[in-house]
Amino acid sequence: MIVNLEIDNKVVSVPKGTNIFMAAKKNGIYIPGLCYHPKLTHYGGCRLCMVEVTLRGSTRHKFSCAQPVSEGMIVKTKTPECVKYTKAVMEFLLAQHPLDCPTCDKSGECGLQDVTHDLKLAKSRFSSVRMNAPMRRDNPLLEFNANRCILCGRCVKVCKEIEGVGAIDFQNRGIKTVIGTAFDKPLDCSFCGGCVSVCPTGSWQDRTLGFRARPWELKKTPTICTYCAVGCSVVINSKNNEVMRITSDDEDMGVNEGNLCVKGKFGHEFINSNRRVNTPLIRKGDKLHRVSWDDAIDYVSKRFSEIVNDYGENSIGGIGSEKCTNEDNYIFQKFCRTVLKTNNIDNISNMKSPLLNRLIKDAVSYGIAATTLEDIENADTIFFVGADVTQAHPVLGSMARKAIRQKKSKIIIANVRNVEFNSTARDDIRLTYKLGTQSILINALIKNIVDSKLVDLKKINTSTENFKELLAVLKNSHMGLKKASSLTNIPEEHIKEASEWLAKSGNCFIVCGKDLVEDPSCEESINTLMNLVALIKTGGAEKVSLVFSRANNNTQGVNDMGVVSDYLPGYLDINDPVLKGKVEDFWGAKLPDYDTGNNDRDVFDLAVSKKIKALYVMGENPIVNYPNGKKVKEAFKKAKFVVVQDSFLTETAQLADVVLPSSTFVEKGGTFTNMGMTIQRLHKAIAQVGDSKPDWQIINEIAMKMGHSYSYTTSRQIVAEIESSVPMYKGIEVNKLQRRGFRWVSSEYNKHEPIKYKFKSSGSKPVYIKKNAKYPLLLLTGSSLKHQGTYSRYSDSLVSLTPECFVEINGKTAEKLEIKNGDMVKLESTQGKIKLKAKISKRIHEGFVFVAEDYEWIHVNSLRDGVYVNVKLSKSK
Amino acid sequence: MEDQNNMVKKKTSVTGNKSTIKRPKIIIGMGTCGLGAGAKGVLASIEKEVKKQKQAVDIIQTGCIGMCSHEVLVDIVIPGRTRVTYEKVKPDIIPEIVKEHVGKGKVVKKHVLSQMGLNGQDVKHYEDLPFFDDLVQNKNQIKHVTRNCGIINPEDIDEYIEEGGYQALEKVLNTMTPKDVISEISKSGLRGRGGGGFETGWKWESCAKYDADAKYIICNGDEGDPGAFMDRSIMEGDPHALLEGMIIGGYAIGATSGYIYVRAEYPLAIKRLYTAIGQAKERGFLGENILNSNYSLDMIIKEGAGAFVCGESTALQFSIEGKRGMPRTRPPQSVEAGLWDKPTCLNNVETFANVPIIINRGSGWYSKIGTAKSKGTKIFALTGNVKNAGLIEVPMGITVREIVFDIGGGIPKKKKFKSVQIGGPSGGCLPESHLDSPIDFESLKSAGAMMGSGSFVVVDETTCMVDMARFFLDFCAKESCGKCPPCRIGTTLMLDILNRITNGEGEEGDIEVLEQMCGEVTKMSLCGLGQSAPNPVKSTIRYFRDEYIAHIKDKECPTASCVALHKYTVIPDKCTKCTLCVRNCPVNAITGSREEVAFIDREKCIKCNLCYDKCNFMAIK
Repeated sequence: MIVNLEIDNKVVSVPKGTNIFMAAKKNGIYIPGLCYHPKLTHYGGCRLCMVEVTLRGSTRHKFSCAQPVSEGMIVKTKTPECVKYTKAVMEFLLAQHPLDCPTCDKSGECGLQDVTHDLKLAKSRFSSVRMNAPMRRDNPLLEFNANRCILCGRCVKVCKEIEGVGAIDFQNRGIKTVIGTAFDKPLDCSFCGGCVSVCPTGSWQDRTLGFRARPWELKKTPTICTYCAVGCSVVINSKNNEVMRITSDDEDMGVNEGNLCVKGKFGHEFINSNRRVNTPLIRKGDKLHRVSWDDAIDYVSKRFSEIVNDYGENSIGGIGSEKCTNEDNYIFQKFCRTVLKTNNIDNISNMKSPLLNRLIKDAVSYGIAATTLEDIENADTIFFVGADVTQAHPVLGSMARKAIRQKKSKIIIANVRNVEFNSTARDDIRLTYKLGTQSILINALIKNIVDSKLVDLKKINTSTENFKELLAVLKNSHMGLKKASSLTNIPEEHIKEASEWLAKSGNCFIVCGKDLVEDPSCEESINTLMNLVALIKTGGAEKVSLVFSRANNNTQGVNDMGVVSDYLPGYLDINDPVLKGKVEDFWGAKLPDYDTGNNDRDVFDLAVSKKIKALYVMGENPIVNYPNGKKVKEAFKKAKFVVVQDSFLTETAQLADVVLPSSTFVEKGGTFTNMGMTIQRLHKAIAQVGDSKPDWQIINEIAMKMGHSYSYTTSRQIVAEIESSVPMYKGIEVNKLQRRGFRWVSSEYNKHEPIKYKFKSSGSKPVYIKKNAKYPLLLLTGSSLKHQGTYSRYSDSLVSLTPECFVEINGKTAEKLEIKNGDMVKLESTQGKIKLKAKISKRIHEGFVFVAEDYEWIHVNSLRDGVYVNVKLSKSK
Repeated sequence: MEDQNNMVKKKTSVTGNKSTIKRPKIIIGMGTCGLGAGAKGVLASIEKEVKKQKQAVDIIQTGCIGMCSHEVLVDIVIPGRTRVTYEKVKPDIIPEIVKEHVGKGKVVKKHVLSQMGLNGQDVKHYEDLPFFDDLVQNKNQIKHVTRNCGIINPEDIDEYIEEGGYQALEKVLNTMTPKDVISEISKSGLRGRGGGGFETGWKWESCAKYDADAKYIICNGDEGDPGAFMDRSIMEGDPHALLEGMIIGGYAIGATSGYIYVRAEYPLAIKRLYTAIGQAKERGFLGENILNSNYSLDMIIKEGAGAFVCGESTALQFSIEGKRGMPRTRPPQSVEAGLWDKPTCLNNVETFANVPIIINRGSGWYSKIGTAKSKGTKIFALTGNVKNAGLIEVPMGITVREIVFDIGGGIPKKKKFKSVQIGGPSGGCLPESHLDSPIDFESLKSAGAMMGSGSFVVVDETTCMVDMARFFLDFCAKESCGKCPPCRIGTTLMLDILNRITNGEGEEGDIEVLEQMCGEVTKMSLCGLGQSAPNPVKSTIRYFRDEYIAHIKDKECPTASCVALHKYTVIPDKCTKCTLCVRNCPVNAITGSREEVAFIDREKCIKCNLCYDKCNFMAIK
């Protein structure tokens, strides 16, 4: 509903519920104000936004941030009275403020300065009543100066409402009121930096900027974050080709509304790190030596040509990157398939869960996949299953909290571990199921929905297929609520309540997490989950969105681009001769045959069995990240020739014959696809660091050297080719990808009617992991909020904030083994052993240990030879 | 008015000796004022004495009757006689009273204050004792809300029921719809006694119209004004009246739970409220299906943590929610989304205590008391430089003069009346010229004061008004929640100026700046605390500008209260050359001998006031 009103003689129309402050701002009318922030609940504390409001004949002064608009309102913002009183309040504020602008990092982008300037304040009537509090620098990322604080409360709200942490609050009363932590302890929070982003003064400061630049010297380039798969918009602030800090201030931009996590906000120091690989390197003997690009390209093309000539098709293995752009990956697979004549290409995410691409493809064709991550903000019920959102996708958590705050959404979190998720939701169920019973839990939810007739069963029967079979299986499984409850270890009433919330919510958002996706029984559990979604959706819900967890910024894109052996770009089945033919025609080259004998084996298996002679790795560190440390090391050992393209000398690069320095995301254009299948555009912020080049450019040069007419000169040309060859990317116009990305799922939905859902039912049985008396504990792995891969490892501030990777153990396990918090322990499996510190945690149950995979310097994957591995723990001397 | 007074007197009389008793009763005032005056010792001594003398008596504790300056009050009733009140009782006179009065039926006259009025029943009064209601200080009072305070035992629900308690609730639940209740309250013209004077009926109506799964009724017992103790006296003296009013209010708005927010500094009130809630639940006045009706209400006591700002309704609600007590902006109003975002109705203790009376006696009766716009009675905590300090209940429209000079008995030590400070830190000072102005919401506001919660501090000629303004502003500045700059910084800056003025460092233009700031802080502050914080300054500048000028221009405090402005001189005529001052001066600023009149060197003087104190002949000024 639109409301019409008049502000400063200008007629404006805004949606009902807007406050006067925003109505004016959207129409270009300036009202001073320092405490209101559109993404936060209103506070009304700064008292600067007073306006004169005439409504139904009576004229009053109102504070514009707290006053919703109403029809026929006449607002005047600059009456002499308003100005006089606003000036008085500013005068009070400045009487307490230190006015230390020359030494303040905020100077130049400071709200307090702006309002002072706008009101033309000069001489004060008062002598000052300043505080003299010391600067608080108790962590490497944030510093707090209480003297500059005007107590607008934004940081307190951002911490509580957006991040759900509540690490800071007001203390004391009267003039002594300050912002602080409980008992003045050092800040212990998620370090999302939200406080810095919203602070209108120089109270909260980003220490990674550290007085290296004045705000007006910074060049600001909007781009997309390179850490997790949420795909937050960030603004690179650079000076002299060096990244100084990252902000995300524009509230209209991107999926994240200016919210970031600790990595996105502070993890940028790797870009200008002096440990970057700046020139190409070639191995001579044991050592890697610097060479020129020409020499490196010559050498690589010569060796590749030799291997292709000597061993024929499919003799080289290619590993694409979850970090690189769609353009890089597209060119990579095209190069591998047409120049290196190999179809043995893959990416780590596909190696970890090889069936996921097909399952996602199914979900899209049934019309149950989410069209965008932002849908979570409109959900009535949010269901995280097997997902540790706080650690893996922190900003998605903030989006969920927005729904909880504004829509009073219900939240259900099901996981093997007691994962943390801070929220103020009144309706909040945590289901901690036994490992291996995830399908039973989901089936129990389905069964309760069906048994209690929470959905329209008739409608489901007519608009889906195999519903009767599903009912029969449910009936025959004898999996009553009681049985399911005892198997999953979840109280009956929780299952009941959760199923009611899911079935009765009008709008449901489900995140299928890593724990489900990477589980060996992922096909069954995801099919069951899809059954649940279809049941709710066809049974009456207005909207159900299913999202699959992806680990990295472009994990979705690398798969979309066909850096897998079974699909050509756009999930075109490589075994379909028609589709293959089309692609061959388009590329003007014959594609190698899909080696059906390789069905169950990935590139590294082939290398170990010497079927593959050379490995070409782009932007990936499989030595650390591949969940079978022994195998991958052997694969690299056996390969005759290894080329690694990376920005750092990773463990993998150290094994390479040639290392080619590649540029990071701020040094190139391109696109990323997030886990909500939204394609977002990168902008080049700084020139290439050192001699590095964008990955697509390096590949281009090798291809040309090998005699192929690759003539791409910009990433735009590549994206144009992607648009015309990848069906689901048809319609992206890169120039329009400024503010909102291209959502390929909704474009698919627009092109095709979803097909009728077909229930796939199997009587689920618990999957037990074999126990081993010698290795009595089971190792679980997962994500970490504060680190992810090579980039965070070379961001010094992040490392100094969280230098330690812990093995999380249950209190009882610790007691048995006489391990105390912080003790150095040895974790052993049949594959190997690592040493690290122990942390006693309530998040983990007895019999399990947890280690995050994201600390690259702790090779937890060297213990693994599969998803779950039996380990033993002992005190290390 | 006269009629009503009589009616009330009759009521009081009936109360005093209502039931025929079989054996003597000793009733001791154990309100906070009584306890402060030593009631515990007196009680112990009574118990000891009764045992010793083997008297068969009932010892009963009661609340504050309002005559705090006369505490400890001990009442004795013996069968067949009126109830006699002893004042300023100390443990050492107990043996005599017990022996003479209880034992022999002889009144110990020298300690007697009064006797309760005749009841027209079967008891005999004492010929030569004054009646309670005929005491000067009680003449202009009419006790409705405080009718039971100091009379009944607040820890015994039966005594409350005997006085007609819970009849109003029964009437409401059996014969009235919530709408009827609201219209009855609206018709009575009852206005909130918490300070703002918002119409209670209207508030209830606007809360009742919202539909929600949970609704709350809250009683604001966070009485934080310095010098105010009306709410405490009701909670301590007649807790069931508050409960009854709240349950009726809860029924009217459809509340599902009730909260009583009491400051933790009132331990006795909290204890008695807990007792009262327990008893009311036992009798079915609270809890599930109250009095077998369909209405259920639960009552929860929340102890405040001693922040003045938590008396503000939204801050109070946050405090109940376990958050920091900080007021929020409105809309939404509390009646729409208050406690836990549910419709909430919040009233003050005294407001709720008025409700049962209105229901019992009808809005028509009630609306006859008071003035055109302010109905009913108002309880004031009369304190300061006045002879009879205590709790008083007066009809709206009474003049300041009547309260100060009739009820209060005037200023002690033959000093002159200067001003009265009404409404605590949010209120203002009224000077002598306003002695005859009536006390009601509108008149007080136009005079620059405020009803506030009802503290009434009388000030005599020796008080410095600048210093008094400074005192109240200091209180507000310290109690500011810190949320908005006008209140947090503005009051501090004002205090800064006042501190300068009282230190003799005032500058020309200070008064004008203060006046500007009064307007700015009032206008721009978020909640009532900040909006009314400048009132003491504003009203003192308005009525006592001369004093400010004297401080600033002449560097002189007319009342000699501001130590920094003292100029110590010796009055030669009065000086006896005793050299006491010379010997006591810590900085040797005084010269003088047996032969010579003392002389004070102002350069050296540190204004420690020792010489003034020591001089036995008032020779130093």
